[in-house]
Amino acid sequence: MTSARMHTVLTLQRQLQQLGYVAEPGLAATLLLMTAMGRPLLLEGEAGVGKTEIAKVLAQVHQTRLIRLQCYEGLDAHSTLYEWNYQRQLLAIKLLDDDTRSVAEKEQDIFSERYLLRRPLLEAISSPTPVVLLIDEIDRADEAFEAYLMELLSDFQVSIPELGTIKAVSRPIVILTSNGTRELSDALRRRCLYQYVDYPGFEKELLIVETRLPQMPLQLARQVVEFVQALRQMDLQKKPGIAETLDWAAALLQLGVSRFDEEGLDGIMASLSALVKTQADGASLSRVVVQKLAAAC
Amino acid sequence: MSRRLAARYVGFIGFLRENGMQVASADGADALRVAEQSGQFDASLLRWNLRALLCSRAEDWRRFDGLFDAYFLPPNRQKTVETHAGGAGHVDLAGEAGGLRDSSDGTPLASAGGTDGDDTDGATAQHGASLDEALGQADFRHLHQPEELQALDALMRQFARRLRLLALRREQLASTGRRIDLARTIRRSIAHGGVPLDLAWRKPRTQRPRLVLLLDVSRSMSLYSFFYLRLARALSLLLTDVHCFLYHTRLIGVAEALRDPDAWRAQERLQLLSAGWAGGTRIGDCLAEFNEHHAGRLLHARSAVIIVSDGYDTGAPQRLVSALVGLRRRARRVVWLNPLASRPGYTPSSAGMQAALPHLDLFAPGSDLASIARVLPQLLQALH
Repeated sequence: MTSARMHTVLTLQRQLQQLGYVAEPGLAATLLLMTAMGRPLLLEGEAGVGKTEIAKVLAQVHQTRLIRLQCYEGLDAHSTLYEWNYQRQLLAIKLLDDDTRSVAEKEQDIFSERYLLRRPLLEAISSPTPVVLLIDEIDRADEAFEAYLMELLSDFQVSIPELGTIKAVSRPIVILTSNGTRELSDALRRRCLYQYVDYPGFEKELLIVETRLPQMPLQLARQVVEFVQALRQMDLQKKPGIAETLDWAAALLQLGVSRFDEEGLDGIMASLSALVKTQADGASLSRVVVQKLAAAC
Repeated sequence: MSRRLAARYVGFIGFLRENGMQVASADGADALRVAEQSGQFDASLLRWNLRALLCSRAEDWRRFDGLFDAYFLPPNRQKTVETHAGGAGHVDLAGEAGGLRDSSDGTPLASAGGTDGDDTDGATAQHGASLDEALGQADFRHLHQPEELQALDALMRQFARRLRLLALRREQLASTGRRIDLARTIRRSIAHGGVPLDLAWRKPRTQRPRLVLLLDVSRSMSLYSFFYLRLARALSLLLTDVHCFLYHTRLIGVAEALRDPDAWRAQERLQLLSAGWAGGTRIGDCLAEFNEHHAGRLLHARSAVIIVSDGYDTGAPQRLVSALVGLRRRARRVVWLNPLASRPGYTPSSAGMQAALPHLDLFAPGSDLASIARVLPQLLQALH
């Protein structure tokens, strides 16, 4: 007999699958825990295992907005939190020409919320209803930005020099993803729940293909997944992720490949670019190698 | 929750810590809360929730189930459980070749690089490079002999601090510059009725490069390997973006082990990683391996690669050249420190070194801290 709590986990798992995301019950449990505890969730794993997708589908589950912040090197607080609307400010200063107020008062007016442009982080904590905030590929951002995020992640507030501290109107559901490019700080890790997302096993990946491409014959789907799983065992520069599996499966359908036999081999060769993404990987998949792999599926 | 039950969960936190996981004391209270929320009778739910709460790295994640079983399940229901303290993390031992056991144990730092240009240099050179891989393990006790090495550690920290000073703010206010700071300019112009008489500027900052250390730990380098490993540890503990690999006939990533704040556990983890230490060298192959498996992830326009090696390579020089060309294409700088180059009259005559020289941004001697301190300005400049 399943307990009421377990029942909730399984319900969420079903809900996720209905929305096209195949998740283990462990992940569903973690997603419930993060909302219960109000803690951010750090998802770590190789590129292409579906980390970003989790945030998207979670927003659908909660029927709320997804606010995404894509991190990159050199990202700073200004571009993620707020910027001043300079044009409007300049206009306002002109209009204040005849104003007899002191410079300090005018300044206060010019640097007020009216002239503030909200960027993703401020947007997320200003929303009246909780949104899903996805901080994607946090490992690409500098350490300085990571440190800057601490205040937001632990106290759900941010400081703007001109306006002071702004507290969250509603607490966003925060998901951070990392591909492990850079070691994240312990301080950041401590503030988050953690989930490692691995490449899916055969059964799970087959279920993903079946869910996303229901028109695909089961036998072909099995072969596609077996092929990709075998490919991941090879020494490739860039292992194919789930997105690549789905792209490739769709490409095979387009090319009219129905079986992995000699006849289908041309189609497989023609569609490999959907699966391998570097020149070296492409070169290592010669016709003979692909033939062998396909024959084993 | 009963006191006995609470003690059981607090005990679990201690158990995880004993097994090398970094769990803060504050997590204890959260763990109790999670256990209460999960209920006591649903083992899977409890496992998933505690795992999400208490793990913070992929390495912890992989070991958690085993540790959970070991602690909570009766012995006859446990699966294979890793009980050894301090997991080694993901180590790719594929292709581990058999070879003769090597008796060289690694050399204490005290006798390695304590003085500049001591007569051990000649002995090191005589070892040369060999093809065999030693399967013996290095003795990492020398990495943490406290008393005699404290002074040296302090110096290394100083070095790391100087490196850290390279990290400035990405963009900073300046009296002159390339970009106007609009927010400040507007603020200053309010007093002039919106006329921007007094401009505020921003200028780009320079940033500390990401450091990737590739340390040769083959037999011919045995006198210096520990010195560099200590340096790597000092750097890893003080700076965040440092990635260290050891190589001999294979390449081994040791960044996580070096960063372990517990000195003894770091030592234990290195022990696990050290098969092949003090054997032969295949520099070109190892650099190529780095290019193939790690460069895509670690190298970008802000990465500096520091290769430490005496250049005695048993591989083909052409292999080394193509690997270095690959490195240069991805990284900002490639620096080579050669311990032998500290000796008076040294010329880089080995085939490996000759082949490598045209592809380096800096080739500098470095057999001990004094020689590194001497080339530090050059090194910092090259890393910039």
